[in-house]
Amino acid sequence: MIEIGIPKIDDYLKGGLPIGKSLLYYIHPGVEGDIFGMQTLYTNLQKGYKGICITATTSPETLRERFREYDFDLEKYEENFDIIDAYSALIGADSSEKYVVDNPEDIKNIDKVITETIEDSSGGLIIHGSLSNIMDMCGEKETLECVEGWNKCMLLYDGVGIYNFTAWPYSDETLTKVRDEFFNAVVKVGGIAEKVIFGQYYSVSKSDWTDDNLGHSILFKILKPGGVRVYLPKILVTGPFNAGKSTFIHSLSTRSVSVDRFGTTVALDHGHVDYNGFSADIFGTPGQERFDPILKTLGGEAMGVFLVIDSTKPYECERAKQMLDITKTFGLPSVIVANKQDAPGASSVDDLRIEMAILDEHIPIIPVVAKDGEGVIEAFEMLIDRIMVRL
Amino acid sequence: MVEYKLGVSGLDDAIGDVRGGSNIMLIGPPMSKKEVIINNIAYQGLMTGESSIFISTGESGESIIQWFEENGKDINGYIDRLGVIDCVSKTLGLNVGDIDHIKRISSPVNLTGISVSITNFFEEFWMKKGIQKSRLCVDSLSTILMYSNLQTVFRFLHVHTRRIKTAGALGVYIIESGMHDEQTITTLKQLFDGVIEIEEENESYFIRSVGLTQKPTKWCEYEANGAEMIVKHKERR
Repeated sequence: MIEIGIPKIDDYLKGGLPIGKSLLYYIHPGVEGDIFGMQTLYTNLQKGYKGICITATTSPETLRERFREYDFDLEKYEENFDIIDAYSALIGADSSEKYVVDNPEDIKNIDKVITETIEDSSGGLIIHGSLSNIMDMCGEKETLECVEGWNKCMLLYDGVGIYNFTAWPYSDETLTKVRDEFFNAVVKVGGIAEKVIFGQYYSVSKSDWTDDNLGHSILFKILKPGGVRVYLPKILVTGPFNAGKSTFIHSLSTRSVSVDRFGTTVALDHGHVDYNGFSADIFGTPGQERFDPILKTLGGEAMGVFLVIDSTKPYECERAKQMLDITKTFGLPSVIVANKQDAPGASSVDDLRIEMAILDEHIPIIPVVAKDGEGVIEAFEMLIDRIMVRL
Repeated sequence: MVEYKLGVSGLDDAIGDVRGGSNIMLIGPPMSKKEVIINNIAYQGLMTGESSIFISTGESGESIIQWFEENGKDINGYIDRLGVIDCVSKTLGLNVGDIDHIKRISSPVNLTGISVSITNFFEEFWMKKGIQKSRLCVDSLSTILMYSNLQTVFRFLHVHTRRIKTAGALGVYIIESGMHDEQTITTLKQLFDGVIEIEEENESYFIRSVGLTQKPTKWCEYEANGAEMIVKHKERR
């Protein structure tokens, strides 16, 4: 199995891409999709596989720069990495790459170089940087005929083929063929658009070895450095007054801001977390009852909830449950943050579990000292796990 | 309804306001100062609180900014509403990275990269900065056509002219006349709502618009004085 290296995709594909198979990233125009192939390549270079990238729209030097932008350090794996340069000849430039296409507008020339490379690099990955570009230059039918040949060759030489394809408005016949016929797996990378594209998602739309998780969409963001991150646009932090919600958000976030008065949150807290393949925006509610009318608005469209309680005040559980009700987040993936564990008189997690029997017993309780950052990441990881099993 | 002024006085007088969602081809011979026209169109947007996205295939991003500075069009106060997609610097092998208002594309053949940068600028202006009037200025389609075939460019434009329409934005695209065959121009014209045409006669340049008003406007002589367009009310014989 080759690991895809994109969050959740390996789970959906039951561990990744079996040797000898091919995967297509089917990318809607305008959506940043070329990073997907790059991330898959880099993930496997780190695991000791050979990787080859075909470039038809970018000079090899610029391509290497693109990897660096994401902090993908190719130099460490230079021995196992090669580029098929199908670009330099197009602008009349010399190439110092091992594999060079002399005439990028001639599919026979491209085919010859790719086939030779597959034979040379048995057991490796070939990343086709832009299949659509080769189709545009060399003809759709001719290119797709070669794709069949390359995929057979990969099977013969124990490699895998990863293709980036921008779904420009080709004929329906071409697009259907690309989506349905030529590849063992297809991952759609799309944009959420109203008047403009304002969000991006991916989903596995085809896999010929498992169909358990087809069609689940995951929102994502591209980070530089970092690469593809699952994006959780809204995680809510709520809980009774003075439980330490703002401190928890500040402690968890890579950047954050609070709207407060004399140290008490009077509007909301906002923080952003980038951690371990996930990118999340965190919104905190005020805890005082006089702000209850705005809680429903703040809770709208949340994907998960941290319920922060003061471990020295387990009797506030009723108020905590009331806040989940008001924010309409009861039933969403939740984690109870038992804050102030270091304070005198703080109840243990087991005691809190008894005190909080009013809440679902399956909601995990994580002991936390937010002011020192203790337990904060554990709480985040726990909530992410609970959100992801639902996707 | 959203409407746009081009910011070229003689043309604005003749055409009036342009409906939001319009895509306009600006076609004329080499040396006819089309770049002055399109730069003025982009500048007009910046001055009036809109955002302007500029795709440059002939000049680096910095040169575009410099043009405005050298020609007395101060854009310092508006730079956060300007987005330049620079298709030149990387092609020349210059070791320059992206900055907030300039995104570099590996080459004009990388239509996917251009497309992603347009999307990113639109998202930034619309969603993050709340600016919901935008102009897309492309200088020029002719260079893009040198790197990619007509069908490929047509597909690219098909996607983006539709996005301009959906967003109620304004798109202006330069084409060099005489560089492409008639079939190419006719094919591309299908994607546009109007054309601003420039012709040369006896060492003078004349301009008119077709499709943006009920009837084509009259041919008027114009000249560029530095960064200013002077459209004379002198008609072509």
